Amino acid sequence: MKSLEQVGKYFELLVRVFSKPERHSIYVRQVFNEIDNLGVNSVGIVTVISIFMGGIMTLQVAYNLQNPLLPIYLIGLGTRDTLILEFSSTILALIMAGKIGSNITSEIGSMKVTEQIDSLEIMGVNSASYLILPKIIAVVLMFPVLYIISVFFGLIGGLIVGPAVGAVTATDYLNGIQYLFNSYYVTYSLIKCLVFGFLISSISAFFGYTVEGGAFDVGTASTRAVVNTNIMILVWDLILTQLLF
Amino acid sequence: MIEVRNIYKSFENKDVLKNISKVFNEGETNLIIGRSGSGKTVLLKSIVGLHEVDQGQILYDGRDFTKMNPKLRKKLRQEMGMVFQGGALFDSLTVEENVRFPLDMFSEMSGVEKQKQVDFCLERVNIRDANKLYPSEISGGMQKRVAIARAIVLNPKYLFCDEPNSGLDPETSLVIDKLVRSITVDLKITTIINTHDMNSVMEIGDNILFISDGEMCWEGNRKEILHSTNQKLQEFVFANKQYQRIRDDKIKE
Ligand SMILES: Nc1ncnc2c1ncn2[C@@H]1O[C@H](COP(=O)(O)OP(=O)(O)O)[C@@H](O)[C@H]1O
Ligand SMILES: [Mg+2]
Repeated sequence: MKSLEQVGKYFELLVRVFSKPERHSIYVRQVFNEIDNLGVNSVGIVTVISIFMGGIMTLQVAYNLQNPLLPIYLIGLGTRDTLILEFSSTILALIMAGKIGSNITSEIGSMKVTEQIDSLEIMGVNSASYLILPKIIAVVLMFPVLYIISVFFGLIGGLIVGPAVGAVTATDYLNGIQYLFNSYYVTYSLIKCLVFGFLISSISAFFGYTVEGGAFDVGTASTRAVVNTNIMILVWDLILTQLLF
Repeated sequence: MIEVRNIYKSFENKDVLKNISKVFNEGETNLIIGRSGSGKTVLLKSIVGLHEVDQGQILYDGRDFTKMNPKLRKKLRQEMGMVFQGGALFDSLTVEENVRFPLDMFSEMSGVEKQKQVDFCLERVNIRDANKLYPSEISGGMQKRVAIARAIVLNPKYLFCDEPNSGLDPETSLVIDKLVRSITVDLKITTIINTHDMNSVMEIGDNILFISDGEMCWEGNRKEILHSTNQKLQEFVFANKQYQRIRDDKIKE
């Protein structure tokens, strides 16, 4: 019952978020700030995680394929498809729900408990739209970019680690990652990324915007936001996979 | 002038405000006083519409706020300024950007005109050389003053202050009180201030409403307050023995 009420409130908030903004120029400026704050600032961590995961995946695939009957190109192909299909979209989304999501919840939540949101309202500013819309736009735009960065550096990770530990030669790996490439996989994942970007930004904003109390409650809200976002990411992964394949 | 008529407000079956009625005049410092938890903040937030009242009317110079649609409310909001208990400055913006924010949002002024107005308001609250600092880099008293500057930057007709002195030393409190008073008188605005500070009451209490447990208990001004026979008010006022002495001295004279 309580969670149903929450869902209702979430959609109520979204209606306010997407109502007409006060000043377009200010919103545009905010979107660029958020792209910088939420998107560009995540490039580093995405790169590092992807290099490691690409490398580890390449080793895992290589060790599990130590059968002379299986073609060697499967190593590169396996790494590539795992990155493209699930890692750089879904797994990255779960990680980003922790980074970007908790950032959004704690920022908006602290503004709530220190009455900064009331301040906006009393001025006649639609606080939901002013604070949340630029974040949603920024994350939805940036997530596909982060996806592409992740796939790219994941593949690089495999290229570095695979040959370095002698699991696969660079030539075999490079052949593998180009073998039987299906561009629809990328389209499918980019669609997922748009949805995940929306889920991460809107759900975590909702939990921040509805905080009551003080700093402690902001912390609790951040945790709940991450958990709920993660569940919704997996649910939508299931739904979209069913719909798009 | 703001008139509140028979307002009620409850949260989840907890009645916080019970039948409050009061006229708040312009050009005077109107005070809502009472101990912590008596409902001052809820009353102030109900008046400005941050809380929806359950019953009653709130009239801004005759315009009924409770009956307004969101669009009209938004327009009226541009005639209001509010100083929140903690200052509530936007911590991602500098002092100057905070004060300019309402202008950026709502005014058609040019950049130069905006800057002039921002400088004028900061001057009014005696803030100098802090324009480029962030709220976390200035003292609590300065934050409150910047919040006042931001609240008056659009030349409001109505000013609301929720415990403007909380967390400040007595000397700074006095400065803030006098500042709010002079702004109120000079600009002829309707100002409502929440406070539980007897010093403020004696300093700037032109028109006082005392509430206890969400009910109105007493109305009057700072001259009358020491001589009231209202039991609850006496408990509140004379919690600090100093005021008992002041009263007794006055009676002897
Ligand atoms: N959003 C809310 N939900 C439920 N109860 C509230 C809410 N805001 C205030 N209250 C209750 O209303 C009463 C009055 O609070 P408040 O107006 O903040 O007192 P104060 O006079 O100290 O400003 C308190 O008992 C408080 O618990
Ligand atoms: Mg209060």
